[in-house]
Amino acid sequence: MSAAIDVAERLTHIWETPKTVRGWFSTVDHKEIGRRYLVTAMAFLIVGGIEALIIRLQLARADQRLITPEAYNQIFSMHGITMIFWYAAPILSGFANYLIPLMIGARDMAFPRLNAFTYWSFLLSGVFLYGSLLFLNAPHAGWFAYTPYTTAQYSPGYGMDFYALALIFLTISTTAGAINFIVTIFRLRAPGMAISRMPLFLYSTLTISFAIVMSLPALTVACVFLELERRWNMHFYDPALGGSPLLWQQLFWFFGHPWVYVVFLPATGMISMLVPVFSRRPIVGYPYVAIATVLTGLVGFGVWVHHMFATGMEHLSMSFFSAASMTISVFSAVQVFAWLATIWTGRPVITASMLFALGFLATFVIGGLNGIVTAVIPIDWQIHDTYFVVSHLHYVLIGANVFPVFAAFYYWLPKITGRMMNERLGKVSFWLMFIGFNVAFFPQHILGIIGMPRRVFTYPAGFGWEGMNMLGTIFAFVLAVGIGVSVWNFLVSARRGVIAGKNPWRADTLEWDTQSPPEPYGSVHIPTVKTRHPLWDDYDEEHDPNDERVLDRGRLTLATSWLDSEPRAVARMPKETITPLLLTLGLTLIFVALIFKLLWLALIGAVFSLIVNAVWLWPRRYREPA
Amino acid sequence: MSVAVNHIAPPEERREPTELGLDDKRGTAGMWLFMATEASLFIMLFFSYFYLVVNGTRKTVEEAPKLHFALPMLGILLVSSAVLHLGERHVKRGNYGRGRILLVMTILIGLFFLLLQYFEYREHLKTLSPLANVYGSVFYTITSFHAAHLILGLLILGYALILPRFEPAEWPPHRPYHNAALYWHFVDVVWIFIVAILYVAPNIWGI
Repeated sequence: MSAAIDVAERLTHIWETPKTVRGWFSTVDHKEIGRRYLVTAMAFLIVGGIEALIIRLQLARADQRLITPEAYNQIFSMHGITMIFWYAAPILSGFANYLIPLMIGARDMAFPRLNAFTYWSFLLSGVFLYGSLLFLNAPHAGWFAYTPYTTAQYSPGYGMDFYALALIFLTISTTAGAINFIVTIFRLRAPGMAISRMPLFLYSTLTISFAIVMSLPALTVACVFLELERRWNMHFYDPALGGSPLLWQQLFWFFGHPWVYVVFLPATGMISMLVPVFSRRPIVGYPYVAIATVLTGLVGFGVWVHHMFATGMEHLSMSFFSAASMTISVFSAVQVFAWLATIWTGRPVITASMLFALGFLATFVIGGLNGIVTAVIPIDWQIHDTYFVVSHLHYVLIGANVFPVFAAFYYWLPKITGRMMNERLGKVSFWLMFIGFNVAFFPQHILGIIGMPRRVFTYPAGFGWEGMNMLGTIFAFVLAVGIGVSVWNFLVSARRGVIAGKNPWRADTLEWDTQSPPEPYGSVHIPTVKTRHPLWDDYDEEHDPNDERVLDRGRLTLATSWLDSEPRAVARMPKETITPLLLTLGLTLIFVALIFKLLWLALIGAVFSLIVNAVWLWPRRYREPA
Repeated sequence: MSVAVNHIAPPEERREPTELGLDDKRGTAGMWLFMATEASLFIMLFFSYFYLVVNGTRKTVEEAPKLHFALPMLGILLVSSAVLHLGERHVKRGNYGRGRILLVMTILIGLFFLLLQYFEYREHLKTLSPLANVYGSVFYTITSFHAAHLILGLLILGYALILPRFEPAEWPPHRPYHNAALYWHFVDVVWIFIVAILYVAPNIWGI
C-alpha cells in the first residue's frame, strides 16, 4: 500500500457497506440499522394513528354505526398493540442504535450482526402480526388480552394466536437488542468516559435494557401458556380445572409495568440531553437525574399490581403496591425539577426541538399527576376501566414518548441527514400537535369521572358524553395533521434543508464531533474524554500523539473497562453478512408453522435456524485488509 | 476532514496500534445476560406453579411425583458439570486434547440424562396427563422447557467441540469452551430448582 492513501479513505474502505442489493440485505452498520428502525417505527406510528382516527370517527357521535362492534374491537386492539409494541419502544431503539456508538466514540455496537438480527425480527414480527388481517381476524382483546376472554372458547379463529406468537417473536428481538445495548455501553465507551461522565441517555438506555432482560420473560411465559391452552388443550387459565384467569394478569403486568418505563425512560434521557444544550448550560443535578433514572427502573418492578386493584385482593398487598406506585413519582419529580432548574438558570433558546421538550414537560406533569390519582385505591375503584384511564395513559404515552421523540427528531435529524429542519414548520407542527392533543384528551378525564367506560364501541345519547367525544374526534385530527406536518418537514428538509455542518446546535456530546451525516467509521481517532461535556470543555479531537487509536488495520474498535473506561483490548468487528436476515426468516417460518399447528414445518424452521446460527458463529481467521 | 488527519502515517510506518490484545469478553458478557433472561423465564414458570398450586390445584394433585428418577438425574447432571469444569481447566492450561475428551464425556452424560428423562416421562404419563388438569399442564411445561434447554445446551457443547483451533493470541480456545460451559452449568442449576420445587417439596409438605 502506498503511503499516499489517506487514513480517512482507508477507514472508509474498511467500514463502508457496499452499495449493492446484497449489501442492503447484509449490512451490520449501526447507523443504517438505526435509520431503518426510525423509518419502520414511524410507519407503525402512522398505521396505528390511522386506526386511532377510525376509532375516533366511530366514537364521534352517540349510537354511531360506522363499523361493526367486532371490527371496532379489532381496530382498537391493533391500535394499542401497534403503538405500544411496534412503535413506542422500537423508535427509541432506533435513536439508541444510531446515536449510542457515536456518543461513546465506538465504531459500532458490541454485536453488530445481532443488531441486524434485532432489526429484521422487529420488522418481520410486525409483518407477521398484521398477517392476521389476511384471515380478517386480527387480535380483538386489547393490548393486554385478558383471559378468559382470549381462550379458544370465547376467541375462536387465528386472531389471538397471531397476538401471542407475534409477541413471543418480538420479545426475542427486544431482548437481543437490550443485551446488545448493555454490552456496548459497558464495554465500548471511549477511554476516559467513566461511568460518572456518561451522557444521561446512556443511563436511561442501560436501565431499560436491564428491565427488558428481567421482565420480558413474564410476557413470554404468559403467551406460551395462552398458546398451549388455546391450541394444545392444556390448562392454565381455566378455573374449572384448577387454573386461574388472574395468572395472566399477574404475568402480563409484571412485564407490563416495567414496559411502561421502557417506552418512557429513554425519552426522558433524550430530553436530558437536549434541554441543557438549548438552555446553554450543563444539566442541573446530573447525579440525581442518573440515580432517579436507575431507581425508576428498579422500583418499576414493584408496582405491577396497581393495574389489578379492582380484581379483589388483600388490603395489605394493595397498600404496598399503592405506596410503591406513589414512591415512583418522586423519581420522576426529581427529573422534572432538574429540567426546570436547567431551563430556569440557563439562557433558553426556543427552537422547535426545545418547544417539543417544553410541551413534553407540561403534558408529562399532567400525566404524572393523574397517575398519582389512579394509584389511590378508592379513586382507582371509581375510575377503573373508564375514560379517565384512557386519558392518563395517553398523557403518559403521547406526552412522554411522542413529544420527546419529535423533540429528538428536530434535534438529531440534522446529524442523521446532514441538513437542518425547517424551524417554522416545526413550530407550526408543535402547536397543532400540542393543542390537538390536549383538547382531544383532557376532556376524557371528565368523561371518565362522569362514567363513560373504555373499550365500548358506541354509547347511547343522553348521558352528556356527546359534546366531549365530538371535540375529541375533531382535535384528534388536528393532532394527526400536526404529525403529518412534521413528517413532511422531515422528508423535504432531508433533501433541501440548509447544510448542517458538524455541530449546528453547539452541543456537548461526542456524536456532534463527527461529520453530518457521520462517516461509516465515525471519527478517525477513537476519542479521549476528560469531562462530562467533551465538546464544551476544551476538547482535543486528536489527543492521540502516537496515532495509536486510529485502529485502521481492519474493522477494529477499542474495548475498555466498564467503570473507569481504561483501555483494555482491541475489539474485532464482523463484516457484512446475510445470516441475521436468514435467521429471522427461519424464525418466521417457525411462527407461521405454529399458527397452523404444522409441527414438521416448525421443526424444519428450527433446524434451518440452527444451521444459520452455526454458520454465523463459525470463526474466521483474522486477516488484515489489503 | 481536518488537516491533521492527513499527517497520520500509513500503518506500516506507525507503531503497533497498542500493546493491547484482542477483546474476547463481549461474548461472555452476552452469555451472562442471556442466562439472566433465561433465569427470569424459569422464575416466572416457578411463580406460575406456586400461584396455581396455592389457588386451588392442591385438590387435583393425587400423589406427589416419585423421586427415583429425579434424584439420580440430579446426581448425573452435577457430575457432568464437574467433568466439564475439569475440561475447561485443561483447556485454559493449553491442554486442548484432554479438554475435548472431557467435553465428549459431558455430552454423553447429558444424552444419558435425556434417556432417563424419557423413561421418567413414560412412567409419569401413566398416572398424570398434561391435558388432564392444571397441575399436569404446568408440571410438564416446566420439565419439558428444561429438557429443551438441555438439548440446546448439548448443541452448544457439540458446537464448541467441532470449532477449529487458531493461534491462541488471535482466538483464545478456552473462550468458546468457557461460554458453552457457562450455559451448561446454568441448565444444571435450573434442574436443582426443579427437583426441589416440583419433586421434593410435594413429598415433604404435600404441595
